[in-house]
Amino acid sequence: MKRRSFVMAAMASLVLFQPLRADEAPAESVNEPAVTRAELQGLLDGLNEQIQAHQADLDKLKRFKFSGYVQARMDVGEASSDSVKVSGSPATIAPANLSRFYIRRARLKLTYDASPLSQAVVYLDGGQDRTIRLLEGYITLLDPWTPLHDHQLTMGQFNVPFGYEIERSSSVRELPERSRAENVLFSGERDRGIKLENQWTPQFKTTTALLNGGGVNSADFPNTDPTRGKDFVGRARWSQGVWDLAGSYYFGRQVTALTGPDVWTEKRRVGVDAQFFFALPRVGGTTLRGELYQGQEANPDSAKALLTSPSTANPVRLLKSGANAAHLATDMLGWYVMGVQNLGERAQFVMRYDIYDPNTDLDHDQYKRWSFGVNAFYDGFTRATVSYDAITTESSIGAGRFRDPKDNLWTFQLQHKF
Amino acid sequence: MRSLISSLVILAALAFATAAHAGRPITIKGSDTMVILGQRWAEKYMNEMSGQVVMVTGGGSGTGIAALINGTTDICQASRPMKPDEKLKLRDRYQTMGQEIAVARDGLAVYFNESNPMQKLSIEQLKAIYMGQVTNWKQVGGKDATIVLYGRENSSGTYVFFKDNVLGGRDFSPRVQTLPGTAAVVNAVSKDPNGIGYGGAAYAKGVKDCAIQKDAKSTAILPTAATVKDGSYPLWRHLYFYLRKKPEGDTKKFVDWVLSPAGQQLATQVGYFPL
Repeated sequence: MKRRSFVMAAMASLVLFQPLRADEAPAESVNEPAVTRAELQGLLDGLNEQIQAHQADLDKLKRFKFSGYVQARMDVGEASSDSVKVSGSPATIAPANLSRFYIRRARLKLTYDASPLSQAVVYLDGGQDRTIRLLEGYITLLDPWTPLHDHQLTMGQFNVPFGYEIERSSSVRELPERSRAENVLFSGERDRGIKLENQWTPQFKTTTALLNGGGVNSADFPNTDPTRGKDFVGRARWSQGVWDLAGSYYFGRQVTALTGPDVWTEKRRVGVDAQFFFALPRVGGTTLRGELYQGQEANPDSAKALLTSPSTANPVRLLKSGANAAHLATDMLGWYVMGVQNLGERAQFVMRYDIYDPNTDLDHDQYKRWSFGVNAFYDGFTRATVSYDAITTESSIGAGRFRDPKDNLWTFQLQHKF
Repeated sequence: MRSLISSLVILAALAFATAAHAGRPITIKGSDTMVILGQRWAEKYMNEMSGQVVMVTGGGSGTGIAALINGTTDICQASRPMKPDEKLKLRDRYQTMGQEIAVARDGLAVYFNESNPMQKLSIEQLKAIYMGQVTNWKQVGGKDATIVLYGRENSSGTYVFFKDNVLGGRDFSPRVQTLPGTAAVVNAVSKDPNGIGYGGAAYAKGVKDCAIQKDAKSTAILPTAATVKDGSYPLWRHLYFYLRKKPEGDTKKFVDWVLSPAGQQLATQVGYFPL
């Protein structure tokens, strides 16, 4: 761009200074100016044509939009030690040290606005496991009959439209990680399917989707779907501006693969979320937010209790004698409440309490966490986060006694968003 | 519990340490349509309030709103209202809904070359011209010549206003030559006998204003102070200041001055219309 400006400036100065030079020339050349008006016009027309051609190229390039963010992180864990853990059969080795530097997320999103009525998105992540993987890839068709394209159809791999946390980018979230319930129920946050979004009024929006159901982090079926019927998700949100209220519903079937006939259980989730926004004079904006997840879900602890463990000697996985297959799924409940307080425009304090209970009929299996954090905004693109998670779980120590393992965590993070 | 309390104390100290905020100049960024107006306001205000610096830059309403969200400007000048997704981004970052303040009125003028015999167009005709359905002046009662379309880039509030209010949200013809700034559109139309362009009424120097009809049966109205103020000119709009929250301190003093009779009179002198 600078080079083009320089060339244009040079040409313009040539054009402008030619007549001056003619004025300064000897008298006999005064009647023969170096550049005639017609030539000058031709030169300008030529320049104009070039600019138009460059503008056309630039317009094509502007259809590509790159965005993304990098989160470099240091964790300091209460349970850290200079050792490794060896467990399982066959044995696996896992580092016991949780104090480390790592890249939590390194994401690049490419959006191509081919036309005003359709767009494609490819979203890659290279963080944590250090391999590039496809986070999202989808095509969206936008309706041609409303000015703001209020109705959109999307097909591909995208965020599951359930609840508030999932569709909120990690780059804008106030705490480094989402709530435990969301992490367990929607691991990876994304799935493959088709989604219809309808903005019926400026306040009211619905989203419905049909999905494979496994989710992108599914160990068993990451790329396939064992069910012919697809999982259904629906979400309705009323956004008043200073408050938002939404409800979500998910229904699907979940398979537990056995040696012999498989077992099918229901995957049913209901969610409610609300946010309130107001400003404290001379301090800054405040948000109060809450979300609840409730339903029935296949429970890994139930699978451990009700199924035989395959081994090298006996590689079968069966229901234990007398076990009821319906009990593989349990009633779960998860919720969180949080507050965010901006302190001026460059700092933010955040506090959250979240709970996940994978089986409401059982005690001592809940996960509870207090999270506190501070965000400092260095400039318009970079922020530093310091957060502390105080986690309470109950680990059996025999004789009906339980204790809370030492697993609280400090997180220091630098994020740059572009 | 003790570690929890000590963690809270450390985090609170960090938060208050980073919240410390030194005084600095007021920065204004956004609409190219409003850049001259903003500069005049800033110059006059700085003359009257010695010691206060107000810096004004353009870039387009969309660019200004992005800067407001990124925190790189105190005030965004916009010639269109903020879009819902922009409001959500602002809310995500600052937990506030932002503050919209109408600071002046503007007539969005349609320009002809001074040699063009055309005097008026209806909004329906304008729509057909800019969507590429009408390509010759003869089709709308003019001479037999191809219409050359000039317009603004899509980061411009003027572009969005024209698209929403004239094209009904539909897309511009690919034949539209996009130019950076209303002054460039005026310049192009002033040199092109077959050109047509649009932009703020204040910029219409060396070109001819087109009288606009709401529909084929309506009276054609020119953009004047009286017709914009009483709303009879169909293509008028508010010009806005957007802030992240209710103005306070130096910013509030400046906004109050812009809305005062002195600020509004200056808007009139520059070619815009008071509220």
